[in-house]
Order: sequence, then structure tokens, then C-alpha cells
Amino acid sequence: MLKNNSLWSFFSSVKLTITLLALIVLVFIAATFLPVHDVAQTFADQLSPGSAKIFFFSHWSDLYHSLLFYFLMALLSLNLIICSINRLPALWRQYQASPFPEPAGTFDDLPQNRIISEDKTIIKIKSIVESRLKQNYGSCKEAATERGSVFYAQRGCFSLSGVYIIHLSVLMMIAGAIIGSIFGLDADITIKEGETVNVANLTKGNGIQQLDFSVRCDKFIVEFYEDGTPKTYRSDLSFIKNGQVEKQGALLVNHPLTFDKFRFYQSSYGVAPEIKVIVTYKNAGKKSGSMALAAGDTFDLPEGAARGFVMRVEENMMQWGPAVKLRIISPKKDIQFWVFQQLDKLLAMKPNLLIEAPMFNPSLFAPFVFSVDGVEQTYYTGLHLVRDPGVSFVALGGLLMIAGMIIVFFMSYQQFWVRIEQEGPKISISIAGRSNRNNQQMKKKIDYLRGQINQELEA
Amino acid sequence: MNHTMILSWVTFIYFASFVLYLLRLITGKELWGRAASFLVWAGLIAQTIALLFRWKTSYSLGIGHVPLANLYESMVFFAWAIILIYLIIEWRIKSKIIGVFVVPMAFLAMAYASISPDINNRIEPLIPALQSNWLTIHVVTCFMGYAAFAIAFGCGLIYLLKSMGKGNAENPAGFPGKLPAPATLDALIYQSIALGFVFLTIGIMTGSVWAHYAWGSYWSWDPKETWSLIAWLIYAIMLHSRYVRGWRGKRMAILALIGFVCVLFTYLGVNYLPGLHSYLRA
Repeated sequence: MLKNNSLWSFFSSVKLTITLLALIVLVFIAATFLPVHDVAQTFADQLSPGSAKIFFFSHWSDLYHSLLFYFLMALLSLNLIICSINRLPALWRQYQASPFPEPAGTFDDLPQNRIISEDKTIIKIKSIVESRLKQNYGSCKEAATERGSVFYAQRGCFSLSGVYIIHLSVLMMIAGAIIGSIFGLDADITIKEGETVNVANLTKGNGIQQLDFSVRCDKFIVEFYEDGTPKTYRSDLSFIKNGQVEKQGALLVNHPLTFDKFRFYQSSYGVAPEIKVIVTYKNAGKKSGSMALAAGDTFDLPEGAARGFVMRVEENMMQWGPAVKLRIISPKKDIQFWVFQQLDKLLAMKPNLLIEAPMFNPSLFAPFVFSVDGVEQTYYTGLHLVRDPGVSFVALGGLLMIAGMIIVFFMSYQQFWVRIEQEGPKISISIAGRSNRNNQQMKKKIDYLRGQINQELEA
Repeated sequence: MNHTMILSWVTFIYFASFVLYLLRLITGKELWGRAASFLVWAGLIAQTIALLFRWKTSYSLGIGHVPLANLYESMVFFAWAIILIYLIIEWRIKSKIIGVFVVPMAFLAMAYASISPDINNRIEPLIPALQSNWLTIHVVTCFMGYAAFAIAFGCGLIYLLKSMGKGNAENPAGFPGKLPAPATLDALIYQSIALGFVFLTIGIMTGSVWAHYAWGSYWSWDPKETWSLIAWLIYAIMLHSRYVRGWRGKRMAILALIGFVCVLFTYLGVNYLPGLHSYLRA
């Protein structure tokens, strides 16, 4: 009843499939040539000025998420489902069909596939053919005719289902994509070295996602080859839940980390606008450990309840190289002075420097002598995090598709009929067969089978 | 002798065998055909050795990786795959006729790789995004697919040339008469496309698995991804219209040409669009 419906027949036509595929191709061609809205660019624009950000990968959004495309995909899915439902009964009939009587014309025009035996009884010949077919194809059936019988054997029956497996796989992938887009989540996190973050910015739109855990970037490392090509981007991450570090790991491109149903990807990095100086001091000839300080940082000195404040950090102060301006406050003193990294060089050029500019003396807060050992850049690491419950559907769909294609292209449904009939004193054996594809190969198979039977008859 | 020198020789060898296949076609003497096949085999072996040399050299430079990482290397591998599939077909169908159309494609790929000023043949280190075991399987399957489509393209061209020939369709006179029978060409087009389709499918899927690990998404609508899907859909249309609507001959030949144009755009044209697959950009 349903099948007489004209809507049903519209959706079950292969013409519709081909038209839809052609339309989808046109949408894709248009989509690749239309100017793309680059989400990565807008994300980069949101970052504070001065922070250089390098993106490895960006994400596009445009026609692929348009109503037009969704509509075409919905029609295609409906078309696939209805086509498959429509053809299932025929497939079932093909499975169930009795091979007898053989299709009309099966034994016409095959002089070369006929063997005439003159010296054996029909019973003997039947048993030879039967055992040969069983050996070749697992099993065989027999039906009696007026003057003898017809044997039937087949191979690769399941190859009829290959097309359905492929179509099912396409539907599974579409389902996986839909599940992913509804229940999945894409977000980005930017973490400065040493910082801990528990909020992610959703990749689509401006929303944020509160995480049940926090991520700390312990270190970001970028390495280059000799020719300047990037070699490694690595973030050392700690995942913290309920105040405890539950997982630590190195995140590299091509090596994502998984934590709490999220997969983390190394997606970008950047240099923070502020720089840090590595400061050490000597106290009575003893050198302290090094401190990485940025403007605004504070530190404690071991004696006299003194506290240091970092007033300014300059990468190249007055063309004299890196310098830091410190303010040290103790109960007795409150002084400010500059510490230059290249003070020795400066003093060699201008021996009177510390007399002319006492503020450039790094030992103003006696007995401490400060020095700058170097400048350090602070990196941001850009992480992409993904939760996609549809992936397993898509993956299973992919495997099914490969299996279906192997069945469709490299296997075929082969049917063989062997007729044995008494013709006067002689017995004629005719061999015929057909296949749902590759008839050239089928001819060879029949030739081969004839050769085998011939040999056994002569033996 | 370094690998670049061997590869220049290989380019020359492929050109020479093309000339020999042409001589065979014109004179009809089988001797030229045998010489051509011998040369192509020699070229394939030399090219294989050169690729292995390049692989080994990359390790001695300390940046070892499979030679499939930039435009030059992919082009050389493309030529290699075309020749490999061609020789398998030549051996299977016992006919040298399609060599005239297929071998020059491998020659062109080799020549373009070495002559184009946009393509550098240095061994370059792998950037982080390419440092993956999926690189080899993804590139190999894609280019085997491209090569099979190239052969379908060659057969399609022969088919159209033949159908333009004068005389009766079954046995046309003159040059087209020396070309293979339409039914043979139709079968060859179909078989190459089926082979290419399976390889392209596996190529897209391995790429998708790789993207899942590298970019965090199995599909990003990057132009190369989209164009590979366009090529895939064109060949899917072709297979459906053959199976269900019974299209044969000229229509298949024309679709084989259209499909290969899409494949070429996926391979080369897309590099001029912005996207994630920028490794091939010169």
C-alpha cells in the first residue's frame, strides 16, 4: 500500500540519488571558492594586542553548516533508507530463490562446455560431479530432470549484501556526525606557563564551558630545526581535580591527551606581552637561586624582613640591554635602583657611571648585590579540547564501508549449474554459470571446472 | 650517484619508452612494444631504488622520514604509482596499447617535479603536524588512488579518440583502428575506477583518523578534504549510474575525464586556496 505512494517512489529512485549527489558536489565547489569566515582569525583578534599568536590549524564554518546543505543531506539519508527498504525484499528473494529449474537459456550455446562420456554410467558420473562441486564450493544441490539431473552450487552469496553494507555505513557516519554536533563540544583554552585554568572558550559562538577540573601548564617548549623549521611544540600539563594532580603528561601535536572524557590537542602557542628577567643576588659572597620576575612581582629577602618589588622590566633599557627596576622596602630603608644585565660592559665603557647615576648601582641595598642573568619569554599554550561521542559511530561506519567495498568490488556471487543427461548410449555433461559481476572471470572459472571434471572422468 | 641523478634518468627513460610505445602504435611492430615495456620496467626499478636512496639520505641528514612529505616527493611517488599500476595492467591484459597514453603522464609528473621553479627537491625536516605514522599510509593510499584514476583518464581519452574515428564502429580504419576495442576500454575504465575508488576511500579514511589525532576533528571541511570528497562523489555517481542505470562507453569515458580533473584539483589546485593541508604549498 505504502509502496504505491508516489512520494515513496520518488524517494526510492536512483535518479534522485544521482541528482542529490550532483547538487552536493555543486554546494562543495561553491563552498571552497566562497570567501571563508575564519574563526581562528576572530579568535586571534580577541587576544590582547602585542601577544603574538601562531595558529597551526584553523576551523572553518560556512556553507557546510547551512540549512541548504542540511536539507540535501536529510534528503540523501531518506533516499538511502527508502532505497534500501525497497530493495530488501528482492535481496531476500534472491537469497531464498530455488536454483531449480535453472534460468531459461542457461544451457544454450555452450558447445565448448559440454563433455560427452561414453564409457561411464550416469550414477558414476553424478557422484564424480557431486563430490567435485562439494569440494570446490562447500555444498551442492541436485534436481532430477527427464533424462538425468542438474546439480547446483554457489559461492559468495553474501556479496549481494555488499551494497547494503556500504549504504548502512554512510548512514552510520551521518548519524555519528549528527550525534557529534548535538552532544559534542569543541573549546579552546589559552594557558600561560605556570597558570591554572578551569574555563574553556567554546569554539563556536562566544560561550564558555566550566570544567570539572583544572589544567595547569607547567612548561611550554618550542624547538626548531637548524633551518628554522619548527620541530616540536610541547606543553607539559597537569590535570587537577579536587585539589589533587590526577594526571600529568606531555602534550604534543599528533599526540593528544585524554582526561575526563575530553581530548586535549596542542593547537597553537604564543608569547606573552610581558617579559621576565632572571634575577639573582649575592649575600656575603653567597649566590642565591634564580628568580624569574615580571613587572608587578614581589619577592622576600632572607634578612631584615625586607621585601622586593619589581617596578619595571625592560628588554633593552636605553639601548644598554635588559634591565630591571627594583624597589626594596625594609623597616629601615625604602630604595629603588636599576639592575643591568651587562653592567660590567657598561662600566668598562663609562667608568663613572655609578657616580653619575647612583640609581644604576645594583648593590644599593647592602649587603645584597643584585644581578640580571638573562631575559625569559613567557609562553602561552593554546589547547583545543574536544568531546565527541559521535566518533565511535563514524569509525564503525568507516570500517563497515571498507568491508562493504571489498565485498562489492572484489567478491562476486557465482552460481554454477551442471546438467548430466543420458543421450542415447552417451552421457552429456553441460556446465554453465553466471555471476553478478565480472563475467570474464566467470568464464575462466567454468573452464576450470570443466577441466577438473574432465580429468576426473578420465582417471 | 645520488638519487636526484637517478630520478633525472628515470624521467628520460619514461619519455623514451613513451616514444617507443608510439613507434609500436604507428609501425605495428611488436619489437618496439617489447623494448618499451623493458624500458618502463627498468625505469620503475631505478625509481624505486632512487626513492629508497632518498629515504636513507634523509636519515643520514638526521631528519629521517619517508620520502612522501612535500610536493616534490609526492609528485615522484605519483609517477611511481602510475607506472606500477600500468605495468600490472599491461601484464594482466597482455596488451601494450594504453602505454602510449599512460606512460607520458608519469613522464609529465616527473618532469614537472624537476623543472617547475615552484617545487624544491631538497629533503626537508618534518614539521610537528606531519610527525605521525599515519603519514605513510595516508599518502600511499591517496596516491595509489590518484594513479588508478590517471589510468582511467588515459583509457577514457583513448575511448573518446576512438569514437571520433571514421569508418564503422566495430573496425574503424586508420589510427583509431589500432586502438583497443571499446568493450576492453570500457572494462579497463571501470576496473581502474573501482580500484581507485577503494584506494581513495581508504585514503580519505586514514586521513580522517590522522586528523582525529592531529587536529582534534575527523573532518574539518578543509578545501582539500572537501575536494577529495567531491572527487569521491563524482566516482560514486559514476559507479551508481553504471550499476543501476547501465551507463557504459562514452558517458563513462567523459565521467572518467571529469573525475580526474577533480582529482588533479584536489592534488594541486587546492594548494592555492587557504586551508590546513598547506604542506604542499611551494
